[in-house]
Amino acid sequence: MSNQYYEFFCPVKVIAGRAALEHIPFELTGMAAKRPMIVTDKGVRAAGLLEPVIAACEESGLEIVSIYDDVPPDSSTDVVKDIAGIYRSEKCDSLIAVGGGSAIDTAKAVNILVSEGGDDIAKYSGAGIIKRPLKPFLVVPTTAGTGSEVTSVAVITDTRKSVKLPFSSSFLLPNAAVIDPRMTLTLPPHVTAATAMDAMTHATEAFTCMAKNPLSDAYATSAIKKISHSLLNVMDNPKDSEGRLELAQASTMAGIAFSNSMVGLVHALGHATGAICHLPHGLCMSLFLPYVLEYNLETIREPLGELLLYLEGPEVYAATPSNRRAEASISALRKLRDELHKRCKLPRTLKETGSVTEDQLDRIADMALDDGAIMFNPKEVLLEDARAVLKRAWA
Amino acid sequence: MFAKHIQPMVFPARRLYVGLMLQVMGRALQAVSEIDAAVQAEARALPDGFLFEMMVMPDGSRLIVEHIGNGRLYYHGDESPRPVDLSIRFKHIAHAFLVLSFQEKTSVAFANDRMLVDGEISYAVRMTRILNRLETFILPKLVAQRAVKEYPASLHLPEKLFRAARIYLKVATNFVETART
Repeated sequence: MSNQYYEFFCPVKVIAGRAALEHIPFELTGMAAKRPMIVTDKGVRAAGLLEPVIAACEESGLEIVSIYDDVPPDSSTDVVKDIAGIYRSEKCDSLIAVGGGSAIDTAKAVNILVSEGGDDIAKYSGAGIIKRPLKPFLVVPTTAGTGSEVTSVAVITDTRKSVKLPFSSSFLLPNAAVIDPRMTLTLPPHVTAATAMDAMTHATEAFTCMAKNPLSDAYATSAIKKISHSLLNVMDNPKDSEGRLELAQASTMAGIAFSNSMVGLVHALGHATGAICHLPHGLCMSLFLPYVLEYNLETIREPLGELLLYLEGPEVYAATPSNRRAEASISALRKLRDELHKRCKLPRTLKETGSVTEDQLDRIADMALDDGAIMFNPKEVLLEDARAVLKRAWA
Repeated sequence: MFAKHIQPMVFPARRLYVGLMLQVMGRALQAVSEIDAAVQAEARALPDGFLFEMMVMPDGSRLIVEHIGNGRLYYHGDESPRPVDLSIRFKHIAHAFLVLSFQEKTSVAFANDRMLVDGEISYAVRMTRILNRLETFILPKLVAQRAVKEYPASLHLPEKLFRAARIYLKVATNFVETART
């Protein structure tokens, strides 16, 4: 009898491609929603990304009742409470998150309050607290990396207690994720690179960590192939809308993969580095990925070797002896990082970031050891192991 | 035919085994925290009075352990003096049996979603490390290798035997004391 067991769940409708935004009115009215509220941030608004969303709705006679455009990069319980207040006073009946991870997480938390009632979002923190469907909720990602549009978690900072509150429930998942290439066309090069490497890490860890399964594998490999094919083209031709769509889809696919098979040490180190040194998440992922793969190498040799096919294509895969494919996969990722460094100076080491000092490494290692992601890393990680990986990633 | 006769005995036996194992583990957690510096160092990061529960859903066997300070754990049996701070719950007794009979590693059980964690994740990671260290001491190496992600290369037989003997002695003493009271 097979020992394999897995769970896979993704009920989010994915609406992707040309004129995808124009499906928003149909989707909302299909859920009997007539008074949507947009949750976004100032950067999205300044980049003019709200206009096509609003135009798409107004053209179909659907009025956007309220727009909250002040979501900070690290959203807080107070922001969530404020937005819920506006939602109620404007008598809204649905939410559209337009933005990156923070706007999406904020909208997920707002949806809890406006559906379940009350002003204290902390009450709903934890796993499985929410027991019923929430208000109609659509997500329009404006970065291609986080995959938040297909994950059932949100993290909100409780500023008074200085803690991060996790929320986890399948009811947090949006009804639909709308992926339109227009939304990522204006992403600056370093954000394009860092967020794509975030998606690459989601897919790579999903494929090599402990909860990998056949369904998440399919999403992960497809995401890796799309990123490998399109990332450098998009860096050279930022207005390449087909390439942009490929990256956006890859991000969603990687999101589906990792939310069903979890991530490992790259994320544990990245979360800790982000918290201590305030570095962007995608940058941390890109930075740690090859070093962690080297650490895990003997435990993940087979799946990592398989990834060479998706990273470098069939010719390189066929020409590489099977016992060298895992190393070749790591080399391919290093090569990709070198190319990104050439194009937008995306740091490849902690030293190159200019924001980390060597004396912070021990603190990062300590914090990483308590991160939930470390449970799913295929190889056991002790404090000295985490320190050794950080030393290698230093310079 | 044989399976039909044996089946009614399997379920109570499994329940009994899981209940007994949780009792042993609860006492062993207390014991290992009294003798092992590494476990004490891990437990010191937990707040004093921190209550940890491991139980089988919906209302099956459970163990409750409290951090009483300075890295020491205290086994409360199956009743908590107040609401617990961290609960690790097996979704079904069959899943608890897989883990407690060392057919499935704790880390694999987490990856397979056999358990729910209610509480601070960083404390759950820490408690898992403590459980892993305990298992490497008290189980024969071949069995321990099935229970933990990686058997520590630095743990040699004399140290393992010495620690295991002390833990088992303390567990047995605790069982006797509990029986008397």
